[in-house]
Amino acid sequence: MNRRLRNFLLNYGFYLVMALVVLYFAANSRNFLAIDNLFRLANTAAPSIIIASGLALVVMTGKLDISVGSIAFVSCTVGLLLILRQGVPIPLGLLIILLTGALLGAVNGFIVVVLKVNPLITTIGTMIALRGVAFQLTEMRAFSIPEPLRVATNARLGPITIDIVVALLAVLAVWYLHTRTPFGRQVNALGNGEEVAARLGVRVGRVTFLTFVLSGLMAALGGMFLMFQVDSINSQLGEGYEFTAIAIIVIGGISLFGGQGSILGLIPGALMLTIIQAGLNFIGASPFAYPFVRGGIIFIAMYADSLKSFVRQRGRFAEEEGDEGIRLTSP
Amino acid sequence: MSQPFLQMRNIRKRFGAVEALKGVTLEAHAGEALALIGANGAGKSTLMNVLGGVYAPDEGDILLGGQTARLHSPLEAERSGIAFVHQEMAMLPTMSVADNLFISHFPTQMGRIKRTEVLDACRAALQRLGCTFDPRVRVGDLSPGDQQMVEIARAIMTDPKIIIFDEPTSSLTSREKQRLFDVIGALKRAGTVIIYISHFLDEAFALCERAVVLRNGETVGGGMMGDLTYARVVELMIGAQNASADREQQTRQPGAVALQVEGLRREGVLRDLRFSLHKGEVVGLWGLLGSGRSELLRSLVGLDPIDGGMLRIAVNGELRALPPGEARRWMGIVTENRRDDGLLLPMPVKTNMSIANLPELIGRIYPFVDGRREASVSQTYVERLKIKIADLRQPVRTLSGGNQQKVIVGRWLQKAPLVYLMDEPTRGLDVGAKAEIRAIISELAEAGAALLVVSSDIDEIMSISDRYLVLNRGRLVAEFPRGASKNELMAAAAGVGT
Repeated sequence: MNRRLRNFLLNYGFYLVMALVVLYFAANSRNFLAIDNLFRLANTAAPSIIIASGLALVVMTGKLDISVGSIAFVSCTVGLLLILRQGVPIPLGLLIILLTGALLGAVNGFIVVVLKVNPLITTIGTMIALRGVAFQLTEMRAFSIPEPLRVATNARLGPITIDIVVALLAVLAVWYLHTRTPFGRQVNALGNGEEVAARLGVRVGRVTFLTFVLSGLMAALGGMFLMFQVDSINSQLGEGYEFTAIAIIVIGGISLFGGQGSILGLIPGALMLTIIQAGLNFIGASPFAYPFVRGGIIFIAMYADSLKSFVRQRGRFAEEEGDEGIRLTSP
Repeated sequence: MSQPFLQMRNIRKRFGAVEALKGVTLEAHAGEALALIGANGAGKSTLMNVLGGVYAPDEGDILLGGQTARLHSPLEAERSGIAFVHQEMAMLPTMSVADNLFISHFPTQMGRIKRTEVLDACRAALQRLGCTFDPRVRVGDLSPGDQQMVEIARAIMTDPKIIIFDEPTSSLTSREKQRLFDVIGALKRAGTVIIYISHFLDEAFALCERAVVLRNGETVGGGMMGDLTYARVVELMIGAQNASADREQQTRQPGAVALQVEGLRREGVLRDLRFSLHKGEVVGLWGLLGSGRSELLRSLVGLDPIDGGMLRIAVNGELRALPPGEARRWMGIVTENRRDDGLLLPMPVKTNMSIANLPELIGRIYPFVDGRREASVSQTYVERLKIKIADLRQPVRTLSGGNQQKVIVGRWLQKAPLVYLMDEPTRGLDVGAKAEIRAIISELAEAGAALLVVSSDIDEIMSISDRYLVLNRGRLVAEFPRGASKNELMAAAAGVGT
């Protein structure tokens, strides 16, 4: 294949596919492209986008945090139970949700940086353990959020919900952090190789720790909006969101190898995932097909990522013009 | 003559039992380039690491501008105006040039990077080096030459008084090299002390005013470049001892061609190599670090992909084309790092010896390996190679280096390959073990195998080889018969006209 065509497909193929998918669903169902419907999709995607925005920083360093779904659950449980049972004022309760998320992220960061445990294993552990903690706290029961909070969070301006606004702000804030601050640049540097980064004077442990704290914080914020969307918490809150978030990140063009991609890619990434899911619904596909399709998309996105990252890492003595090596034949 | 800006006096450094520097003295003048010359292991890197604050010397003084300097950490060295351009570049390929230059010390305002200030500083530094690329481009998109310029830009941004270049040209094209030399010339004119480490003598002569030659951790000579000749420098590097003193005299008559290589290419590493290996012959592959020696062996056996070329192997006295992937049927390779890619360290000796030959050891019930036969075959080679072990089930990790290496050789002996490729087969072994491995090499050749052996030790390679191939930057630059002198080999590998 022509090299230019290949590069074009690698860089923009995703948008091409997205356009085709939208067209396909639009042609096969009524109202799919209606403005209302699109905003509804964006609203659904908002919590995952928020969770993904924090997790993306961890991914940029070349690591993973799969405890985000459980952190979301525990943080919301702690905050809501304090509001319902201890009479903590609602704004303070919400603040506690965020602080709990950041604190649990710090626990992950501590285990990874200080105890030097592999991040994937660390967060698998905390994912399982934290969900258990939340089960203990809720005794597996569901709790509704207080009426004033329900009313407040359902506020909307036309089709634009608070969820959409917060998700956009979260993405913009993390994008700013990533591209405009020394911390953000150092996150990227870690993704290029921690040894090199350390040699260049980056404080690797500190940066890694902070990415886990931010990942926990954003997980709690995303979980909060999941809670607002269903007006309650139940034992499934945040379950599976770690993988939705990772899917959004990968589809959004952020490399799991670290150091590559833009936070802004999360928006098209999330839209793609949501559109396909909603589209399947619109054309009346079996709900059991969803996980299969979603798995397929994640696989394809990762395959594209690994294709793109297959940089020719060969050494090189570039050819010097007009000087042929001496050819030898044996005696 | 002016007072030297840098003086290193009587520097001694010992690592355990090894004395790496035995009282080295070195002087360098502002506005001049000093070539630091020496064979592998002569102590160049150790000396420069002392200057760069990486190692503290056991004895000796370092004077900068006539005053004793404290260089106890790389940071202190940097503050004292010493910059190091490493051979191994530290690059963040997915990030911009500006990010690469400022990653640990971005200037900020309210937490935000002062982008314009950063970009201006980068442009100024790049301009000093005559670079035209924009500081916003990704480093990974730059050529190796431009990446090197980024590395140098990083060094000159601290306004150093001394810049150490360690093998800076090993990945550059001739045009990029010329540009580097221009930059070094400009730095000299600005009054910087340049210390230039290179294996390539022609570069040292073209670029430097002065030279210091190290051998075995001692200063053995030097002086103004104008007073030196290539021959004199090579002599200083290898010492005046008789070049053929310890040659083990044996004459072997090489047989028919065993392996013929034509136009072997691997982009950027190996360039159009053609040669053949004969049965019953030991060919010494000589070249400097980075000349493509290991890469050639790996490519031959199919461990690295190749971009072109043809291998022919002698089967029943007839040369036939060897498809890639089949190479391992005919060739055995002893890799450079036996601990990393040669052995399964925690596994038993037996497993390590049979691992390449398992299909032959399958018993009556497919696909189970016949344990008794595996043990008896392994035992045969343990005895034949005189490997000292207590038990075949002993983990290989517990063996000495020499015995480990013999296990690898024994592995290939089982398969009886036509061609043996050996990369530094005696590295890290003691004198006795080295001699044993050399004896095994001779035996293999006498038994009719073709051997291609890489060694960085010139005395060793001269003691075993029937013929030499010399590589320089991925090209075969010379071929010598058995009687070649040390000087000829050294000069050819260093790229001094053949």
